Amino acid sequence: MSNPRISRRNFLQAAAGFAGTSLLGVTPFRAFAQASSLAAPDRCFVFLYFSGGFDVLLSLDPRDPKVFTPERVSETRILPGYSLLSTDASFPTDVVRPQRRDGAPEPAMTFGPAIGRLAEHYDKLAVVRGINMKTVAHEVGFRYFLTGKQPIASAARGSSTATEIVGQLKPAVPVPSIAYGIESYNDRYPGAANALRVSRANDLILALSPSATTLDADIEKQLVDLRGQSVTCESQLYDTRGLVSQYRQARSQMDDVLGSKLHKQFQLDFEANNAKDPAIDQRNMARAALRAQYNLPATGNVNYDSPAGRAALIAIALKQGISQCVSMNLVGGLDTHFGTQLTHATNQRAGWNAIADLVDDLRKSPHPAGGNFLDHTTMLAFSEFSRTPLINSSGGRDHHISSSALLIGAGIAHNTVFGSAGDINMAPGVVDRKTGQTDPSGVNILPEDVIATVLAAAGVDYSITRTSPLEGLLSG
Amino acid sequence: MGRRNLSFLIGCALALGCSAPSKPAAPEIADLTPIPHDHPPIAALPDPELSGGHVGRAPRRISVAQLKASIQTTTGRQWSQIDKLAASLGSADYALVNAEATEPNLVFAKFLEDGAREVCLATAQADLAESNPDKRVLARDVAGNLADLRQLSEQTRRDNLIYLSTRFWGQPLAGAELDKWNASFKAFAERAEVAKKRREAWGALCIAFMTDPRFITY
Repeated sequence: MSNPRISRRNFLQAAAGFAGTSLLGVTPFRAFAQASSLAAPDRCFVFLYFSGGFDVLLSLDPRDPKVFTPERVSETRILPGYSLLSTDASFPTDVVRPQRRDGAPEPAMTFGPAIGRLAEHYDKLAVVRGINMKTVAHEVGFRYFLTGKQPIASAARGSSTATEIVGQLKPAVPVPSIAYGIESYNDRYPGAANALRVSRANDLILALSPSATTLDADIEKQLVDLRGQSVTCESQLYDTRGLVSQYRQARSQMDDVLGSKLHKQFQLDFEANNAKDPAIDQRNMARAALRAQYNLPATGNVNYDSPAGRAALIAIALKQGISQCVSMNLVGGLDTHFGTQLTHATNQRAGWNAIADLVDDLRKSPHPAGGNFLDHTTMLAFSEFSRTPLINSSGGRDHHISSSALLIGAGIAHNTVFGSAGDINMAPGVVDRKTGQTDPSGVNILPEDVIATVLAAAGVDYSITRTSPLEGLLSG
Repeated sequence: MGRRNLSFLIGCALALGCSAPSKPAAPEIADLTPIPHDHPPIAALPDPELSGGHVGRAPRRISVAQLKASIQTTTGRQWSQIDKLAASLGSADYALVNAEATEPNLVFAKFLEDGAREVCLATAQADLAESNPDKRVLARDVAGNLADLRQLSEQTRRDNLIYLSTRFWGQPLAGAELDKWNASFKAFAERAEVAKKRREAWGALCIAFMTDPRFITY
C-alpha cells in the first residue's frame, strides 16, 4: 500500500522552491522595511557613547568645590578637582549654572566645567544621576548600557536597544540602524534589523558606495540572476537557524542601499556649477551650512572621525532620512587612570560640544511631520561607568561604579534631574522610582531602567528590559 | 673475561633470543558470549522536525582571519584591503573592541563583494595567461589555452563547476543546482565572448562562489 503522505524531503524541496523566490529576491528587505525611501522617520534615536568611563564630576553630576574641599576629603571622599583645570582659561573652575533661555523655564540643573556649550540646551535635557552600573569593567558596562541587560560575565545578552527599536518599528528607511565604532547585537530580529556597523567614517561611506570594480552590465545581471535562484532543501535545512537568511537579507539590503547612492549624501565636497544650476547651488549651500554648524573646515576634505565630524554624520543620517537609529562612539580618551584632569576634561568637552552642535542643528531643522527634528528625536548619552571621586596618586581617576546618563529630546521630561549619587564617595543613590527623589526605602537606578524609559518615551515595547520606565523622566 | 667479550656474548644471546621461532600457542576456542559493558545506549540524532527543524550546532559566519585564509587558499592571492577594513568586517582590535563580530551584516556583504571582485578578476586574468591547466585556479578542467569559452563542452563546464564548488565550499555542486550554475556559466561565457571580456566570465563565476553563503559559513 502506498503512503499517501508527502515525504519530508519532497516537502522541503517544494518549500525551498517557494521560499527561494521570497528569500533570495529583493522582497525580504523591502518586506521588512516596507518600501524604503529617503524620508525621515517620525521618531529617530541617537545613542552616544563616551568611551572609557567619563568623569561625571566634570559634567553631569558636579559638586561645589567650596563645599567639597580638600580639607573635608576624608569625610566626603569626593574631590571635584576643578582648580586643576585653571591652566586652561576656557574651563570654568566652578559649577556651571546654565543661563536661562528666552521662553524657557529656569534651569533646574547644574553641570561640571567640561559640559561646554551643551549647558545652553538645558531646557531639552534630563540628567539621570546615581546609576548603579554594577560593574567597573569596561566591556561589561558598555554592553550593559547598549542592551539594557546585564551581561553574563562579559558576554552581551539580547539585542542592542537600537536593534530592538528598528526590529519593532520597521522603519521605511534604507539603513535603519548605523553603529559607528560601537558593538551591535541582534538576537531575534531579521537581518535587516542589523546595524550597519563600521569602525570608521570612511568605511561607512565605502559601504554605501558602489563597488569600484564593475562588470559588463549583462554579466552583472546574469550574476544577480544566479544569486537569486532557488535554494536546495539541504541548504534550507542548513539555514534553520537563519544565519544564511540574514546574509541574504544583508545582500538584498546592500542592493537597495547602493541603488539609492546614499554615499553622495555624506560627501561635503562642493560641486562645480558652471551652468549655474539652482539645484547644485542649493546642495552646495547646504554643505557650507553643515560645515559651519559643526565647525568643520569651510573648504577641502572633511574628517568625520572627530567628535564634531561624527555629530555631523549623525545629522546627515537622520535629516536625510537614511537612518532611524544611530549609535555612535562619540569620544574616547577618557580612561585617564594616569592622565591629568585637564586631559580628561578637554576630551570630554569635545563630546558635549559635539552633542550641543547636533542638538542646535536638530532644533533649527524643521521635520516633515511638523515641529523640529529634536521634537522627533530621542538621544541617550552614556558611558560604561564613571571615575572615582578621588584623584589617585598618578593624578588620574580610576573606575567608579556609580554613573550618570543624559537624555535629550522627544518623549523626555525636559529640564529634569532624576536620581542622585551620595555626597559621600558618590555612592549610587537609593531613590523613589517615580519621582527620582532620595528615598531610604527606594531602589537603585539601573541601566535597564534608563533603557526602558527611552523605549517607553517612543511608545516602543520595553518588556525585554524586564523593568518599567522611570515615570518622572517621561514627558506628559 | 674482558668487558668486550662479555658484551659480545650478551649481544649474541639477545640476537638468538629475538630470532628464535617461538612455539605457537594452542588456539583457544572463541568465547561467543557478548562481553558485558557499562556503555550507555547511544541516542540517535534527534529528528529535525522535533527540534525546531535543526540538529547539531548552529552555522557560524567565518571570522576575518578565516576569511583572509580562505581567500588565500582558494585563489592563491590576497584581497589588498582586508587588513584596512578588518575592524568594520568584525575583527576585534582588543583596545576598544574585544570580541570578534561575526554578524553577516550589510557592511560584511558589501565589503566581501568588493573583495571578491578585486581578487576574482585578478585571478581570472592570471588564469587567461596560463597555458598549463594545473597551474590555473579557476579553469582547471579546460585543456590547453583558454580560447573561446562558447566552445567548452557541456562536460567540461560541469567538471569545472564541480571542481570550483569543491575548492571554494568543500562541497561539490550536484543535481538541479549544478544545472543552474551550468546555465549561468554558459550565459557568462556567451556574453563575455560577445563583449570581448573573457576575463569577466571566469571572474563572475569566481565572485558567485566567493559571495555564496557556503563560502562564509561553517
